[in-house]
Amino acid sequence: MRWRRRARPHNPHTLAGAYALDAVTATDRMRFERHLARCQACASELRELTEATAGLAGAVAAEPPADLIQRIIAVSARTRQLPPHVGQERRWPVRRHLPAPGTRRVRLVTRRAVGAFAGATFVAASVVSGGVALNAERDLGVAQWRDHAIVQVFTAPDAVLLTSQVRVGGTATVVMSRRDRALVFMTAGLPALTGARCYQLWLMGPRGDRSAGLLPPPRNGMTSPVFARGLSPGDWVGLTVEPAGGAGTPSTPILMLKLAA
Amino acid sequence: MGETRDGSLEGLLNQVSRGDQAAFEAVCARTGPVVFGVVRAVVRDPFQTEEVAQEVLLEVWRAASRFESGKGSALAWVTTIAHRRAIDRVRAEQRAANRQIRAASHAIAYDDVVEAVQARLDRERVQRCLRCLTRLQRESVTLAYYGGYTFREVARLLGVPEGTVKTRMRDGLIRLRDCLGGE
Repeated sequence: MRWRRRARPHNPHTLAGAYALDAVTATDRMRFERHLARCQACASELRELTEATAGLAGAVAAEPPADLIQRIIAVSARTRQLPPHVGQERRWPVRRHLPAPGTRRVRLVTRRAVGAFAGATFVAASVVSGGVALNAERDLGVAQWRDHAIVQVFTAPDAVLLTSQVRVGGTATVVMSRRDRALVFMTAGLPALTGARCYQLWLMGPRGDRSAGLLPPPRNGMTSPVFARGLSPGDWVGLTVEPAGGAGTPSTPILMLKLAA
Repeated sequence: MGETRDGSLEGLLNQVSRGDQAAFEAVCARTGPVVFGVVRAVVRDPFQTEEVAQEVLLEVWRAASRFESGKGSALAWVTTIAHRRAIDRVRAEQRAANRQIRAASHAIAYDDVVEAVQARLDRERVQRCLRCLTRLQRESVTLAYYGGYTFREVARLLGVPEGTVKTRMRDGLIRLRDCLGGE
């Protein structure tokens, strides 16, 4: 990873207990998981710690309302299941798909265009960093990393721009880089949501549906860029309306955009 | 059929991953109380508790094929999903609420949590094991797990350095695990 934290010398290893208790911020969670992927000892320690948390869960077990379980079983009958993970990751196919109807696709060619776009986004991203979206983290390192990641996508040699209408109104714009397996998502003119609801971004494809985060509240009708990575071949980008705080599984998408293969 | 009734939770999840509705009912019967309990402990609000518990069990249905027995027990897999979903829910709400008000009233919040948590710890075995921990270990672990606080917040609440809390959480869990496993 290009990103290196400054002034944070402590070892992610020490986070194992806090991680097992979910007593970490999203940032710490990410950091520990990255460490976990490379640390055999952590994985086996975490296994032990997690069994202890299962004990803590058992201590507060309580009979759920009878109709709740019936309802869940009924919903499960019409809920599609995820396929298992199958070992090695597929490579991106070389074949290029045509964009879905109603989708505009532009290759970002000139250096000037890319530069201008990147500049504008950087400003937008900085606004995000200083403002609402990341205030929970209060972590400049992360903010800087995100700004950097967004610019990285915009300036990638294979950056592709896709725009599409959103079913409920407004436009969504995606800039994606196959090389970086990452994208930046922005919207304009989405209807404001009433009540405790939010827009949630998803990557949907053969690897299953993965949340790519919540859209920040719009300013002047536009939402600041959301950065998402971990794109897989065959992924679509989806946008849904969910209860505030987001959902674990997507409801019916108001936008489905096929990503350039 | 007999396998469904008597099978381990691991075996049941395996059947669920192939779309076996009866196996899923068995999984719900077995894990429903612990899922509901842990979500309620963290989320508190009855309506939201049901909502999150439903999300959790549906996630178990959807993702049963992703359960890897090499990475831990089936029960731990389910409770981990439940706890994380519950935490995500309260954190999202917290972000929306005013964090400053929260910070100002942390002393009250702490008493509140400890009292509520103690009242709910009705399972004697875990309670006995929790008593084997040092006070700081116990408070760090219970505030994080049932109270939904991050280790930084726990450090603030207890007035100890963050590094200390991280260590106490880890040591506390190890001791808890040894105690639970040894009985």
